[in-house]
Amino acid sequence: MSTNTARRVFYLGTLLSLVLFLGLTVDTHRQLQTLTHADQLTDQVVAGKRVWHKYNCNDCHTILGFGSYYAPDLTKVYWRRGSDGIKAVVRNPERFTSWRKMPRAGVPDQELNELVAFLKWTSEIDTQDWPPQDQKFRAAAGRAVALGTSPGALLFQEKGCFACHRLYGTGEQAGPDLTHVGARLPYEVIERILADPSAVNPQATMPPPPLSHEERGQLGQFLAGLK
Amino acid sequence: MAVSYRSQRVAYPYFVVALALFVLQVAMGIWLALSYAVTMPQWLVDVFPFSTARAIHTNLLVLWLLLGFMGSTYFMVPEETEREIYSPALAYGQLVLLAATGVTALVGFVLGWTKGKPLLEIPHPLDYLIVVGALIFLFNVGMTMLGARRWTVTQGSLLGGLVFLAGMYLFNLPFYANLSLDWYYWWWVIHLWVEGAWELVAAALTAWILMKITSVPRETVEKWLYVELGLFLFTGIAGTGHHYYWLGAPKYWLWVGGVFSALEPLPILLMLLDAWHYLRNRHGEVRGHLVFTLAIGMAVLHMVGAGLWGFMHTLPQINYYTHGSQVTVAHGHIAFFGAYVLLNLMFFYYAIPQLKGLAAFDERRGTLAFWWTSLAMGGMTMAFSVAGVLQTYIERVMGLGFMTAQAQMRFWFGILVVLGLAMLGGVVLAATDLLTLRPAAQKREP
Repeated sequence: MSTNTARRVFYLGTLLSLVLFLGLTVDTHRQLQTLTHADQLTDQVVAGKRVWHKYNCNDCHTILGFGSYYAPDLTKVYWRRGSDGIKAVVRNPERFTSWRKMPRAGVPDQELNELVAFLKWTSEIDTQDWPPQDQKFRAAAGRAVALGTSPGALLFQEKGCFACHRLYGTGEQAGPDLTHVGARLPYEVIERILADPSAVNPQATMPPPPLSHEERGQLGQFLAGLK
Repeated sequence: MAVSYRSQRVAYPYFVVALALFVLQVAMGIWLALSYAVTMPQWLVDVFPFSTARAIHTNLLVLWLLLGFMGSTYFMVPEETEREIYSPALAYGQLVLLAATGVTALVGFVLGWTKGKPLLEIPHPLDYLIVVGALIFLFNVGMTMLGARRWTVTQGSLLGGLVFLAGMYLFNLPFYANLSLDWYYWWWVIHLWVEGAWELVAAALTAWILMKITSVPRETVEKWLYVELGLFLFTGIAGTGHHYYWLGAPKYWLWVGGVFSALEPLPILLMLLDAWHYLRNRHGEVRGHLVFTLAIGMAVLHMVGAGLWGFMHTLPQINYYTHGSQVTVAHGHIAFFGAYVLLNLMFFYYAIPQLKGLAAFDERRGTLAFWWTSLAMGGMTMAFSVAGVLQTYIERVMGLGFMTAQAQMRFWFGILVVLGLAMLGGVVLAATDLLTLRPAAQKREP
């Protein structure tokens, strides 16, 4: 091969790749609008992204699989924990971690709301079904697991109950498996637990779920129906 | 043998600072491994979280490698252009600026001052100072080359790589409201650095060293340099797509990323064959056995780290399960070590003896340090890989949860603490050796 041929290989290779890459970049910009629901990027979501950066969350957690690998990926954390679940962990990490700790960053409530809005928006990005381990928590899957689309089933998903409890093999195991809870406990007891867990069982570690009176009834009905 | 041009001396302080930061980087790495292996108390995590330590570890890496490249450039350019550096004073000033900015940033991380973007945490306005430092550097090198007007492919590759490097950093400056777009352009900095701009710089520095120590004709070296660079950029630019599989970008990136990155080992393989070819066809003795050992070691571990370990998880079907796991960490460590750490060490071992006026130096400690660090890094890569496979299977395939997987991986992080300590020993040995080189023992007359 002569030096001239080698030079041509260099220019041709570089140029081909560059043209392809830049062309696809233009198209990606266009398609990202829909794939990421860019129209839902409200001021609150963007403020939440700034909170995300401010506390350097990304140097322990991955998001979209990028960042540090010390703590769980947060792309779909909204599916796993829901709004209240996320807030509870950030407020009192020591209650949710065992042998690997998360710093108590003292995030104010307003920032916490913004952060949750950001993570909710992130969970809706079309990531080609990544990450694999969180697909079972997606809203549709969660509702299917929770047998139907009753308001109670939806609350179970959105209030982050899956973060501690299991239904039909989905969810964490920090608390009791609730697959057949309706066969063990009557509606009245379930309703009282939802109001204040420690009133029923003084040793309960479960935090009182933030539910309105009406929501408590709906979630209680749903759980009591799980026989 | 002393340096041929007085201004080549500006390289030395760059090398000293780079080596000091390298030692710190590895020490911080041990802390990270320890944080994975044992339970850190909550009060300590509250004041010095893992995230801060990780930001320090990675920023030290980038900072010392770049200072090493810059020192190497200042050493090479006078000989290559046959004239003094345009302004040695600017070169010293630039080092002070960049080192001071870097140290301020590191202290800032501890105090919680961060941009919060992995690897690019240096906040405003410090990142603008980095840009100023880079511009001074490019101006100084560019003016030297322009003044000489003795263009060579090696110079072109070096200058091109450095301009490309500085240019890509600009994509880090804006705030991106859209997270997907943020990561899209984050990779323009990170990927197009390590698989684009840095490869250009590395190829130029390596080609220059090989010409110096093997007497292979410039024409041959530079011809292959063209082909290598062409392949690096052909596969590397569109290969950025292998980071775009799951970030919200269109599906065609699975194809583009998969196909182009499958080809990415080719230029590295060519580099390896090249080095082998020079070894076989050299005329006479190789000048500097250790430098040559480092060049071969670099070619081999570059192939293993960037080539094999990269290829292993680059196809979308595999990456779906391994993305963002310790498999990535294994690849990152061995690829950076093979491609860029050994490159810097090779250049330091070529340049520092000349800067100290040594015709021949005692290579025993340096050779030991090369094997020691390479074996430690080899062991670390295996430990990260085992942890990565466990994580991939337990967390992603079986879906048993993040911490369940981490519990099974814990043992391997214990091993990593030990290997990290070994690595630190090797790095300290290399750094002290480079700063206290001794002349080779005189051969006794028979």
